[in-house]
Amino acid sequence: MRAERQAYPLLVPAGLIFSAFFFVPMIGLFVESFRLYIPGNIGSAANAPFTFANYAELLTPSFGGYLLQTVRISLFASLAGLVFAFPLAWWITRRFSPRWRAIAVGFLAVLMFLSVLVRTYALELTFGSAGPFRQTLLALGVAPNGRAYIEFLVGAGLLHYIIPMSALTLLATIQNVDPRLVDAAQALGAPGWRAHLTITIPLCTRGLLTAFLFAFSYSISAFVIPMILGKGRVLFISNLAYNRFSEIADYPSGAAISIVLFAVALALIYVASRYIGRRWS
Amino acid sequence: MKLTRRQALEYAALAGPAAAFAGMVGAPLPARAATEITAVEWGGDVVKAMKEIEAKQSAVKVNWVLHQGGSGAILPKIKAAWPNAEYDYVAGWEGSFNGMVKEDWLVPVSIETVPNLADIPQKIIVKNVKGEWMAVPRAVGGIYVAYRKDICPIEVKSIDDLFDPRLKGKICWPGPSQAMMLPLVALSLHAGGNEKNMDPGFALMKKLAQTGNIGRVGVTDTDFSTSLTSGETALGFYSEPQLTDVGKSFPLVRLTKQRGVPTFLYQSGFAIFKNRPNLKPTLDFVNFCISPEMSTLYAEVAGEAPLNTKAKTPDSLKHLAFTPQEFDEYVYVPDFNVVLSSQDAWSKRWENEIAPLL
Repeated sequence: MRAERQAYPLLVPAGLIFSAFFFVPMIGLFVESFRLYIPGNIGSAANAPFTFANYAELLTPSFGGYLLQTVRISLFASLAGLVFAFPLAWWITRRFSPRWRAIAVGFLAVLMFLSVLVRTYALELTFGSAGPFRQTLLALGVAPNGRAYIEFLVGAGLLHYIIPMSALTLLATIQNVDPRLVDAAQALGAPGWRAHLTITIPLCTRGLLTAFLFAFSYSISAFVIPMILGKGRVLFISNLAYNRFSEIADYPSGAAISIVLFAVALALIYVASRYIGRRWS
Repeated sequence: MKLTRRQALEYAALAGPAAAFAGMVGAPLPARAATEITAVEWGGDVVKAMKEIEAKQSAVKVNWVLHQGGSGAILPKIKAAWPNAEYDYVAGWEGSFNGMVKEDWLVPVSIETVPNLADIPQKIIVKNVKGEWMAVPRAVGGIYVAYRKDICPIEVKSIDDLFDPRLKGKICWPGPSQAMMLPLVALSLHAGGNEKNMDPGFALMKKLAQTGNIGRVGVTDTDFSTSLTSGETALGFYSEPQLTDVGKSFPLVRLTKQRGVPTFLYQSGFAIFKNRPNLKPTLDFVNFCISPEMSTLYAEVAGEAPLNTKAKTPDSLKHLAFTPQEFDEYVYVPDFNVVLSSQDAWSKRWENEIAPLL
């Protein structure tokens, strides 16, 4: 008990950093979201009255549409990321020699650190409507400037980050699953796919859920990827918040959007971790 | 002689007070260094032009900071840091100047403090409620319809042509944070409205969005030029610097003097901050920048027409030189107070009514 108390000071540095750089600004943002905004001003006045108008104006079908679009594309990208990342992580853990495993992990880590702008523009130049695949897309009946294709590109942009992040998260999870369980199942006659579906994946549920939550949190708050690949037509909530904060300087409205996005993300993560986690674990 | 670390520290400790004392008693010092100021500028050709201007004088050394995103993106940073914001001047236009004036950040200017203002048309200078001049204009740019002749499937002559089905996916339209949404005002004018009555403009914009002709909504400056350069889109509403480089490599048709397709003019210039210690050198530098020679240089490099009446307008910017008759016929000057105070409402209306259709 005493040792536990002695360990509390270790929390102080991180606690101070979070208080100063997360909680205090978030409180400021929360308060700003209730301030009255006068068009033409930069943000709200210091003594501006409080109002619910900034939230009320979000109660529109179009804002609901943006929210749904953000959640939908993020959800698909996160799930697709898991589908790609899980076999990759399994292969790296179970099939690679220690030397190749180290190389693969290093490669995934490098992908995480590669500038998001670089990857996004690389995607845009390669698969965008003026890229080398333009003719192929047209031959396949895909309109490179069509909305569906733009949404697909935004999802692909998110996958650039989601796959390495999820694979790295899942490496340790798969490593902790005793391979002899699958061997035993196969020795008793279960085909390989069935052994994995009934043993490996259920035992990795917590890791999969963690990877999903990381991927989803990243996607739902993505800004640069939809801004560049979305061509101003596929907008995420963070893009709307940016518009309010930047040119228009309507900070109260931008703050209200940010708070709504934060609340939605928290709620979805809570639901996913509590209910899905409890059911599958 | 070998210098130990202890000795080096002792010498350094002695050198500081000695230098300070020498300064106090007026002892001769090495040649006086240029005053350092911090300026926020646009990237690309604009900052290139400004660096060339800086190189032609030695009184001021400029620490260049570039705008990130629209000109309004700098405002929250200034507001958060005020009165300790460390920018001596910020380049901008009517939209951003208006916000800065309301926040009371800027120093008024006059012919006494910036003598070259005498050669700038006074009508264009941004003023506060007291009528004081609050920014120094340096050039004028246009917002107008243009297209790449080599890839545009039709010859565009009017707003109605934008609805032609052959232009599917070929239009790059400015997003709600771009160009003060003046292209929407152009649609409104075409449909019988104006900036004070935007319903016809939004109705026409909805129709245009539904045609599928808008391939990209430009949200950053580079969106416009890269989209046009790559051939992703072939036409749209552009502001002048977005076309400067494109025009060097591709045949452009600029509809600045086309009846029924309004052209808008905006000024770019300097907002000078009153909280900074180097006010006089900043004013002198700005004055130097708008001199006839530097205005000419700026126009040639940055691609914005000079406002100094004694400067030379390059041939490449002749499309922005209007006779009084042409000005009346082709240029629409909106009530900027209405335009600027409506940005918030128009932007939200765009998000609600237009964006879902794109």
